[in-house]
Amino acid sequence: MVNTKWKFIIPLVLVLILGISTTAYAHGARINYTVNMTIDIVAKYDNGEPMGGAQLVVYAPDDPSNPWLTGVCDDEGRFSFTPDTSKPGTWTIQARQSGHGDIVHIPIGEDTAVTGSSGGYTVLQIVVMAVCGIWGFVGTALYFSRRRA
Amino acid sequence: MRKRIYILTVSVLSLFIIALIGCAGAGAVGTLQFHANGEDFVREGFVSKDGWSINFDHVYITLADITAYQTDPPYDSHSGGELKGKVNVGLNEVYTVDLAEGGTDAPPILVGEVQDATTGHYNAISWKMVKASSGPASGYSLVVVGTAEKDGQSIDFSIKVDKEYGYDCGEFVGDERKGMVKVGGTADVEMTFHFDHIFGDAETPMDDELNVGAVGFGPFAGIAEGGKLDVDMAGLQAKLPAKDYQMLVDILPTLGHVGEGHCHCH
Repeated sequence: MVNTKWKFIIPLVLVLILGISTTAYAHGARINYTVNMTIDIVAKYDNGEPMGGAQLVVYAPDDPSNPWLTGVCDDEGRFSFTPDTSKPGTWTIQARQSGHGDIVHIPIGEDTAVTGSSGGYTVLQIVVMAVCGIWGFVGTALYFSRRRA
Repeated sequence: MRKRIYILTVSVLSLFIIALIGCAGAGAVGTLQFHANGEDFVREGFVSKDGWSINFDHVYITLADITAYQTDPPYDSHSGGELKGKVNVGLNEVYTVDLAEGGTDAPPILVGEVQDATTGHYNAISWKMVKASSGPASGYSLVVVGTAEKDGQSIDFSIKVDKEYGYDCGEFVGDERKGMVKVGGTADVEMTFHFDHIFGDAETPMDDELNVGAVGFGPFAGIAEGGKLDVDMAGLQAKLPAKDYQMLVDILPTLGHVGEGHCHCH
């Protein structure tokens, strides 16, 4: 009985030791990155002339009724903005001036929203966490299924 | 016993949840209103590109096959492609409305409404301008009645158009977005008509595309007799200079808009 018990305890202790984080004796580094896209708008009249000074309104897909951003085109009808890529869907941009206007719909999918960072868990740590979790379930099941003396 | 109670409880809860889901699905409708708008040009009048001060007594327009769509991807009127929606709602009748009704402070004209419109964003609309079969505009798709004044001269006019047009339009472009129907709520879509395209606008630069393509009122004044002008398209073709008549024929299809947004006319 004692031997059987130690067959479980010793491996468990070894696994726990391997999984414990140790103190880092060197400076750490962490890089976070986000891929952003910029949308460049060029607003022109039907005859090709730029809509200089046109009013721009940008609507995000999660709140199509309220402007997400407003602005004014430059003299060449140009306007740039960076959408929030955490809001995938159809972004709507409206340009208006002097009774003329147009609207454009730009789809921005989930795959264009890229945010990440260096660091995180190592493969060994992930394996250890998985083994511990599984062992917890198995152990609990064995405990409740034991034969009472 | 316990097992029976457990099964009974689960069954009752399941039926309750299914009932809730069913009720939620059946209630996902609201009201969608269809408006026609001649804007302040019609309600308040304006000065044409050639200086005539125009006021409108009536602007009768006859509309049919009015349909609003939920399109995905959103319909692009510039492409002129087929307008197809995931969800369509429309008005089944032919309507003759007076865009000048109600005076200077009147809101856009309510043409009709659908009270069980599926919720969602109706971001496209189509309609036809057709000849009326009865009423004050019988035989015509558009009748414009008013008075034009310039330099002490006054002309009472009635211009009748019998040409028919179809419009396929994308989303409304204006101060706010339209067509978003929510459960139990009311939203609207708008058919906008720009009459400054016909007569031009003195407040817009003369070299603006609007004024360059507009007929103005001067050619109409030139064929008036005794301060009155009552003419249809056949009469205009006979009396107007050919260049001015052709400008009118070319510009009439551009009447239909969605706010400031353009439509594809066919």
